[in-house]
Amino acid sequence: MSNRHRAGLVGLVLLAGLPAVLEPTMALTFAGAYFFGVYAMSWDVVSGYTGQISFGHGLFFGVGGYTSALLNAGYGLDPVLSIPVGVLLAAVAGIIIGVPALRLRGPYLSLVTLVAPLILVQLFIYRSDIFNGEQGISPAKVDALLGLSTFGDEYMFYYIALALFVFVLALLWTITRSDAGAVFTAIREDEDTVSASGLNPAKFKIMAFVLSAAVGGLAGAMIVHTPSGNASPSTLLAITVNVEVIIAAILGGMGTIVGAAIGGVLLILLQNQLLNVDLVVPLLDTPISEMDFLVFAIITLILLFAFPGGLIRWAFGLTGMFKERVFGGEGGGPEVATDGGAESEANTPLEQVYENYTDDLRAMFGGDDDER
Amino acid sequence: MIETILQYVIQSTIRSGLYALVAIGFTLIFGVGGVLNLAHGASIVLGAYGAYFAATQGLGIPGAVAAAVVIPAVFGAVMYLTIIRRFEHEPIMVMILTLVVSVAIEQVVLKTFGAQPVAVPQFFSGNFSLGATNVQANQAAIFVLSWALIITLFLFINYTKQGKAILATSMSAKGASLMGIKSSRINLTTWIIAGALAGVAGMALGSQLTANYHLGRNPLVLSFSIVVLGGIGSIRGSVLGAYLIGFLEVGVVEFVSSDLTGIAPLVVLVLVLLVKPEGLYGRELAE
Repeated sequence: MSNRHRAGLVGLVLLAGLPAVLEPTMALTFAGAYFFGVYAMSWDVVSGYTGQISFGHGLFFGVGGYTSALLNAGYGLDPVLSIPVGVLLAAVAGIIIGVPALRLRGPYLSLVTLVAPLILVQLFIYRSDIFNGEQGISPAKVDALLGLSTFGDEYMFYYIALALFVFVLALLWTITRSDAGAVFTAIREDEDTVSASGLNPAKFKIMAFVLSAAVGGLAGAMIVHTPSGNASPSTLLAITVNVEVIIAAILGGMGTIVGAAIGGVLLILLQNQLLNVDLVVPLLDTPISEMDFLVFAIITLILLFAFPGGLIRWAFGLTGMFKERVFGGEGGGPEVATDGGAESEANTPLEQVYENYTDDLRAMFGGDDDER
Repeated sequence: MIETILQYVIQSTIRSGLYALVAIGFTLIFGVGGVLNLAHGASIVLGAYGAYFAATQGLGIPGAVAAAVVIPAVFGAVMYLTIIRRFEHEPIMVMILTLVVSVAIEQVVLKTFGAQPVAVPQFFSGNFSLGATNVQANQAAIFVLSWALIITLFLFINYTKQGKAILATSMSAKGASLMGIKSSRINLTTWIIAGALAGVAGMALGSQLTANYHLGRNPLVLSFSIVVLGGIGSIRGSVLGAYLIGFLEVGVVEFVSSDLTGIAPLVVLVLVLLVKPEGLYGRELAE
């Protein structure tokens, strides 16, 4: 067991003990942050690993959340039963998005994934009689998990969210460190090589999409039965949610699962912290807490500028070690290939995705192949 | 019945011209720089509010038009110089950053001008009759203006040195640079043009109804559909796509249900991507 694993375990133990010093409202904030961490991990397993960048992961959270909330509110199904149905339908949505992803590459896939949740929101508005439009399904109509109550059971919600977080972390960690994870990474690096090795990239892409959708759907389905969220476009489907998930994963460190998890939790805690800042912005004469989203956007811009490789990598100075863990290659500098050029293995996941994306763009526009 | 149809045709024709202005800018940036500018909607908002602000300052219609052109154009230039240039070869980062910027702009507008819709000044006031229907002079002006801009841009791209340089860069950035064309300057030009066009469209959209801080979202999403339907990078395709999408969108809202706003174009987008991803005009610029 390496030092990093030990640090991770100690961290989890600390999180388990955290409610001892947390106020009830903060416990709920942390619960929301864990849910977001799960969202970010679910994005990372398909986008960070296979390089199929999804700009609309909210689709899966939405399908999971709405399914469970509607079954519960409309048919009185217990959350314990309605949540698995939500997960199932989210997995189906994963297939629906995953199949086009086999044909569409790079920017085209981004566009489809970007508009998919928009279509869903429009449908929800169109059939407001069922989905209650932009308001979403009122949390008052939806039962809480295990019959807990919003006031008094805050710490239980904390532990439920933490349990989900740890479960998903362990699940995705295991899968991405298995042979399947190696294939995911290989698809991101060079799909043709995967086919040439006799493996079917389509099968693994679909698998990644379904896995990711199911995990996202699980988090979405669970969150609607807690005070952390309800089945509404703004908490599950909005463009801001979709983008925040990506920002969280990239800031944390894409293609590592752990980075996405930490990034997701930190992002929500940061956002929450901004709400409590009393500082008044001189020029606009409004307190920061009233324009938290703007400030958040600016901080995000700065962070993305400063640490495009991910905050976690930077914080631990572990770039080399991460690469060693993830790719099994040499840490430190780029490996020198026999022809004297640097091997692309030394690129971070983000850089690889950029490369493929740029290649796809070139293919789309024709020409400029010589630049490689 | 005839009247309804005539009204529908007029409405769609005017609306489609505006969509074309928005989509052309979007497609220019995508075609030349290879990045999706998700802050394009913010330019629309800046155009509308710029015109509104200039009018409240007593600058009159010329001042409003100037503000609607200049502010988004400067915004485009600043965006390119500060953010995009650094992440030019990282399209995903550009998508994320432009999206964050557009949210930030919306928030600034929301905090400065409030959530209430504002009345953007009209180009012309009054009405005149066309056949059996009444047409607002403002709408006619918008129609003329949008086509004047489209034609001007078309001539600019095809017949001026600068325009040809844009065309060349979009065909092959490397080939263009070998001919001594500075790609960063070309990119900057496209960002400025795109911003200005979107700004004019923003003022026009705002003057028809009212403007609010999320005025730009719908046209932006529509321009995804338009650009993909027309063929990414093609100006001609964008204009044709804008008219197809515009008639479809207005038709669905008029004859089916106003709750379906925005769905039909998105469905078209997904279908085109699945069936014919290169769009109607493939890649005209590259031929």
